[in-house]
Amino acid sequence: MGEIKSKKTSGTTGEDPIDAVPGVITTTSGAISNFLKKTKAQDLINWGRKNSLWFMTQPMGCCGVEMIAMGCAHYDTDRFGIIPRNSPRQADVMLISGYVTKKYLPALKRLWDQMPAPKWVLCLGDCSISGGPFYESYSTVQNIDEIFPIDVFVPGCPPRPEAMLQGFVELQEKIKAKKDLGTEY
Amino acid sequence: MDARTIIESLTGKFPEIISETEIESEIRVRAHTDRAMAKEVCQYLKDSLQFGHLCSICGVDYPKRNEMEVVYHIASYDHPVVLTLKAVLSRDSPEIESVVPVYWNANWYERETYELYGIVFKNHPDLRPLLLPEEMLGEWPLRKDYEGFPNKTARNLV
Repeated sequence: MGEIKSKKTSGTTGEDPIDAVPGVITTTSGAISNFLKKTKAQDLINWGRKNSLWFMTQPMGCCGVEMIAMGCAHYDTDRFGIIPRNSPRQADVMLISGYVTKKYLPALKRLWDQMPAPKWVLCLGDCSISGGPFYESYSTVQNIDEIFPIDVFVPGCPPRPEAMLQGFVELQEKIKAKKDLGTEY
Repeated sequence: MDARTIIESLTGKFPEIISETEIESEIRVRAHTDRAMAKEVCQYLKDSLQFGHLCSICGVDYPKRNEMEVVYHIASYDHPVVLTLKAVLSRDSPEIESVVPVYWNANWYERETYELYGIVFKNHPDLRPLLLPEEMLGEWPLRKDYEGFPNKTARNLV
């Protein structure tokens, strides 16, 4: 029974809805979004996205303290539309702000899965880039870029809030140039 | 109570069990204990010699001697002497009696020593890993023959 059902469903989804009924175009939000990616409208969408990069306040190490400082009034990321959010469901950017231990990686993956697309990752600090002081440690995950699609690496131990802000500006440039990994072009 | 009285009291109470005592200075003494009587020695230290504060428990691995050591650092609130108490275990089956009934704060120390060295503390109330994930149990990362270190770190830099 299960096999027959799966065959039926795969058959219906395999057909192109445009070819099914002549003269009638049925579409989905995915098809609209795929169509828009080929047009100039995507530039407008990216303009909106790059100016509202809300990041998730999820500090993981000492870089997290700098991250919070960046989001506060002194460095004032609001002028770039970069606002700290407490919930992954409201966030666009995840900052890997420190070492990722083997125990924490499942939780981090879960947070990443809870974020709605399009979403981007920034790597902050030497720990998340190459291990840093935890180089070849038995308890940390190495080469985090194999797990998450990281757009910008911000080196430093920890990076200054200005450097993180620079990383965000670089991410905005990547989104503007349609070179970012968060959106599938 | 000074260092000499403490060592004399210990060796007088447990002549067969305490060995290799050494007075390093006026405030640091060292002693080896038999592994079967570690808890009784700790009980005596706490009750009679005013050693009320267990500073730490850690393990040491000696693969060439095929031995492991559990090191207790015990201090006092009443006198300035810090005692380093060591118990030598067999490396094939490292087991020692838990000292949680004597010093309650030994609970987490023993859990950490267990997850990093694989030293089993018998009659521990809750012997499970403290900081490491459950799936790393059995790797014993601080043993000298541990080989699970990642060797593919930062391949873009090499």
